[in-house]
Amino acid sequence: MIGLLKKHRYFRDHDLKSSYDVVIIGAGAHGLATAYYLAKRHGIKKIAVLDRSYMGAGASGRNTTIIRSNYLTPEGARFYEASVKLYESLSQDLNFNMLFSQHGHLTLAHSDRSVNTMMERAEVNRLVGVDSRVVYPDEIKDLCPQLDISDHPTFPILAALYHPPGGVIRHDAVVWGYGKEADKMGVEIHQYTDVTGINVENGKVTGVDTNRGTIHCDTVISCVAGWSTLVCDLVGVPLPLTTHILQACVTEPVKPLLDKIIVSGTLHIYISQSDRGEFVMGSEIEPYSGYSNTSTFRFIEDLAMHMIELLPMLGHAKILRQWTGYCDVSPDYSPIMGLTEVEGFIIDAGWGTYGFKASPIVGFTIADLIGTGKTPELIQPFRWARFYENDLVSERGAAAVSH
Amino acid sequence: MAERRLAQRQGELIDRSQEVSFQWEGREVTGYAGDTIASALYAAGTRVFSRSFKYHRPRGLMCCSGQCPNCLVEVDGQPTVRACMTPVEQGMDVKHLNAWPSLQRDFLHLVGRLTPSFGMQVGFYYKTFIHPRRAWPLYEKILRNAAGLGKLDPEHRRTERFDKVHRHVDVLVIGGGEAGLEAAAEAAEQGRHVALVEEGLALGGQLAWGGPRSNGRLTALIERVNAAGVEILQPAYAGGVYEGLLVPVFQGRTMHRFRPAELVIATGSIEQPLVFGNNDLPGVMLASGARRLVNQFRLMPWEQAVVLTSSDEGLAAALDLADGGVNVLAVADSRRGADGSAIEDAGIEYLAGFQPWQAKGSKAVTGVVVTRDGEHRTLACDLLVMSGGSVGQTALVSQGGGGIRYDRDQRRYVPDSLPDGMRVVGAAAGSAAAAGAVPAQAPKTGCKQVVCFCEDVTTKDIALSLDEGFSSLELSKRYTTVTMGPCQGRMCHRNSGLVIADQLGLDPDSQRVGVTTSRPPHNPTSFSLLAARGYEPVKRTSTHHWHAEHGGKMLWAGDWKRPYDYGDGDSEVDAVHESLGLIDVSTLGKLIVRGPDAAAFLERLYPNRFGDMKLARVRYGIVCGDDGSIIDDGTVARLSEQEYYVTTTSSGAGGMEQWFTWWNAVWKMDCEIVNVTSTIAAFNLAGPNARTALSTLTDFDLSNEAFPYLGAGHAQIAGVPCLVLRIGFVGELGYELHLPAAAGEHLWEKLMEAGEPHAVKPFGLEPQRVLRLEKMHIIVGQDTNAESNPLEAGMPWIVKLDKESDWIGRYAIEWYKRRGNRLTLVGWEAQNGGVPIEGTQVVGADGQPAGRITSSRFSRRLGKAIGIAWLPVEQSEEGTAIRISDPKGSTIPATVTHKAFYDPDGERLRS
Repeated sequence: MIGLLKKHRYFRDHDLKSSYDVVIIGAGAHGLATAYYLAKRHGIKKIAVLDRSYMGAGASGRNTTIIRSNYLTPEGARFYEASVKLYESLSQDLNFNMLFSQHGHLTLAHSDRSVNTMMERAEVNRLVGVDSRVVYPDEIKDLCPQLDISDHPTFPILAALYHPPGGVIRHDAVVWGYGKEADKMGVEIHQYTDVTGINVENGKVTGVDTNRGTIHCDTVISCVAGWSTLVCDLVGVPLPLTTHILQACVTEPVKPLLDKIIVSGTLHIYISQSDRGEFVMGSEIEPYSGYSNTSTFRFIEDLAMHMIELLPMLGHAKILRQWTGYCDVSPDYSPIMGLTEVEGFIIDAGWGTYGFKASPIVGFTIADLIGTGKTPELIQPFRWARFYENDLVSERGAAAVSH
Repeated sequence: MAERRLAQRQGELIDRSQEVSFQWEGREVTGYAGDTIASALYAAGTRVFSRSFKYHRPRGLMCCSGQCPNCLVEVDGQPTVRACMTPVEQGMDVKHLNAWPSLQRDFLHLVGRLTPSFGMQVGFYYKTFIHPRRAWPLYEKILRNAAGLGKLDPEHRRTERFDKVHRHVDVLVIGGGEAGLEAAAEAAEQGRHVALVEEGLALGGQLAWGGPRSNGRLTALIERVNAAGVEILQPAYAGGVYEGLLVPVFQGRTMHRFRPAELVIATGSIEQPLVFGNNDLPGVMLASGARRLVNQFRLMPWEQAVVLTSSDEGLAAALDLADGGVNVLAVADSRRGADGSAIEDAGIEYLAGFQPWQAKGSKAVTGVVVTRDGEHRTLACDLLVMSGGSVGQTALVSQGGGGIRYDRDQRRYVPDSLPDGMRVVGAAAGSAAAAGAVPAQAPKTGCKQVVCFCEDVTTKDIALSLDEGFSSLELSKRYTTVTMGPCQGRMCHRNSGLVIADQLGLDPDSQRVGVTTSRPPHNPTSFSLLAARGYEPVKRTSTHHWHAEHGGKMLWAGDWKRPYDYGDGDSEVDAVHESLGLIDVSTLGKLIVRGPDAAAFLERLYPNRFGDMKLARVRYGIVCGDDGSIIDDGTVARLSEQEYYVTTTSSGAGGMEQWFTWWNAVWKMDCEIVNVTSTIAAFNLAGPNARTALSTLTDFDLSNEAFPYLGAGHAQIAGVPCLVLRIGFVGELGYELHLPAAAGEHLWEKLMEAGEPHAVKPFGLEPQRVLRLEKMHIIVGQDTNAESNPLEAGMPWIVKLDKESDWIGRYAIEWYKRRGNRLTLVGWEAQNGGVPIEGTQVVGADGQPAGRITSSRFSRRLGKAIGIAWLPVEQSEEGTAIRISDPKGSTIPATVTHKAFYDPDGERLRS
């Protein structure tokens, strides 16, 4: 309650200076987390975070807030587990309650092939220390009584991957929490500042051009999610990405009664209920690529049809709002992070549908990379050069369901 | 009841001769046919309809037109029903939503009043409940208990029938007000097929609720519309405007998916509330809402009313209400120079330049304080009518791709650009009377000045958010949740924009304020309605029913249903090994590639060589992606010089057809691709007695000499023309028969008959998996993943790097060859101990995953567990001991092997 009595000014406006040590493009959860850890852990404070819109306008404000680490590859599972661990103490670290609600995550299997995939994820998870196991209908019923585990649905539930630490968090609060602490340490957040060019001389970054003037700097980090290919085009760094839209929707708030996150790859849906009582739901990325951000009716029709098969109680719930966001999909469904062929240009891209849940560890490791000059072990597998070395991290089995 | 109604008058919607009774909070209420739940309850004396979302403040009727959240109730178990838009029905059960223990006495309202005013200020939950961390689950429980509006019944099952109709009309008009009716009539009179959607209970919009003066005009207009043959859907609402002018319209339990050639948006305007202290008290109503109650339902529940306005709309409303029988005491007009003579002529006090300050009362309005230049005047009243001007309802325009801009002169949002095929008419287009000046910054009165009625956001909340640095409409919206409630900003979008612009000292159309995006659906819509009647297509083979009738456990396999087994998988495996089995493999993808370039085409698609294939032969092949990974496998039979018959995996059929046709389009080769997957059935007759049994049904020479392993030939079998492929996925002598699906059931039964002397058994998917695993035949997608290349998958022999033509994946595979294998696909066997589970891991010395178990079964024939695994090359030598993980934490020892477990030299296949 004490916090309520104090007057806060979380975010300040600044004039744009002519030089910074580090320029971060994109004031979303990734960019602000990076700024925070750079200032906090490495004492680099002359940082400008630029965004062409408001803080968290892109994927940070459009995702469906699910945090989990039950990935298929050991590299992925270790990386996301480190992220979950940071999330678990983030409210305290940033002194901002992010309403992190860890009630568990169930990925349903409706075919014996997908039971195998669940088993593989569970085993990889167990061996690398992620809490995750395969459960069968009796236990599923105990964990989530609302699910129809009978054989009436078109696709009966055969098993599920149960991941107890999985949860949801207030996504905007993550952006604001990192932003306000970064601001406090002197990081400058410049909203409505559009990067129009990145200057490179002799293979090294020298600055960025913006609609508010030119900035000199020797390190630029691109944390712009769906716009990564456009920003990378400014420096000529090629990215093997396709951009797709991903849709989501939310219901009117009703009394909370579903505390698990439910995911079904076969039905292409997932759902959770927020602490406010809204059901938050989504589906697969759209198969076509492009920058159209139009919501489709087909999305909510199909989603509703599948959802009431799984959770018949939702019949009376009402969908209030649907929206879209951009997702960059890489060939192996893993992100692309770290150094590029342009010295001083660091990328953080290819986040498909799994970027938000990585925000803390992205900030942490990218900051370490800049602070120490060495690529941290955790993100070595996701390096940009892997596409030249054909050393991919095949995460399709765990990431193809878009949440 | 009757005494609360005014005298009968033209234009009323109620039928006083017909009473309707229903339950409200457990007691019976009687209204008239034609009443809404809201009007009937109002007539019965109900003033508090709901409690607000956060502070649980009592709320009464405000808009009476389905825009605001104040009358949300539960009806027959359905939460969040708008009482003002729902006609009463005999026996319906209506309850309040968000209050405990009752609407009148709400515990949480009390809590809110007792805690200091900062207790539930905006964003309080971000700043509290942080320490200690371990207490958060408890705090969260409290928060969750307080959250949510309605309740869902966990046992609810959809039992009614819901439907979906696809509609194509020349013109679809959304909105049945004056402008919509006129547009519809005009179009229909030109001979076009016109449908009109109206969400209200009466056509005519303001002509209907605006008093008796316009009744004549309305009657004439409706006659014109009917005469022109306009189809009217009412009450029904448009759920949004999607790409290509797709407009889902919901009427009762039916979804009409309209695709009109022309879409006319005639959604009118929405009257806006004024912002002042306690502006949410029951008894504070929008002028249009009060006029609806008086004119359409003839309610007269008030002693005296005061009208607060900032536009001429309020003046008209005051006169209309007075005419309807309401005792209007005064009109406070925040404008100074407006003409109030008509008001004074009607004997009503006109207070020019007076702004609303605060409403008096605790659960109902008892008076109002208005102010001008520091002068306060208190007026006693029990109805406060407010009119903050109207904004055009442009949400559907922007959802459909139109642009919206803020008009500074009119102080409201107007359509700017329209997508092809869309037209906006009437008030939605901005032709309604200009909204007058709204007091952007309401006086600081010390009581709540509600901006967002859904989410209980006040001017103080918005000010706090801006002070804290959430200094734009978008950030403030996300922090305070203003505009994010069930009304989707209908009641608060303009006012919040004005409040924020004013506080930041910016123009309402500046970058930091601007217009927030209107998101579909247009009205909250239930899952039941959206799901309509669901269709989940399933593919069935020609012998589906035979399998089901003979004990086949039909399970999903991709888009198909296939028999898992027929009750005894073990004996099905034995039958194939020892005598004879029959499996339906019709789900295999089947493509015919035909034309002069057919051979060259396949040479480019496959790493294999097909150009040199002899006629009447079949060959196993894999398909690789550009990155050299295996994307599918199957067999290719050469039927003639220019014709190949290609099978793909069951799940890969669609993808392979696309892959083939895509490349054919790119390369422009002279061949054609026909997908015959569904028209051709396929059965595999396998086992040592396959030849003997099949011979009884055909004259075709099946002898090993005439038709050896990997032969392909045309034969008449039981009178059915078949393509016979001598291949052996299951490891025994076998004939895969491809035939017209129409004859599938016939041939299947003939084969079963012919096999009877050999105790033939049908076998399912699971026995087939055991059989193929004994032969170490891989299943693409199970034993391979998106990164598996043929070199590492143990099939270097299939890759013809010396082919003269280029082929897809060649570049990558050459690269892999230079790099050398890192992983390799091998077999393993575990003699003693358990059967590993598919998906478990080969554990390295450090206890971490080193390899993956992709297949595992216990083979009764071999008396051991066998399987396939991906291993690092250095651990993959024949005979290497490996440890396989188990979910329980132990490990299972196993030995690497490279040869097939069963009949490694293929003698039985070739026999």
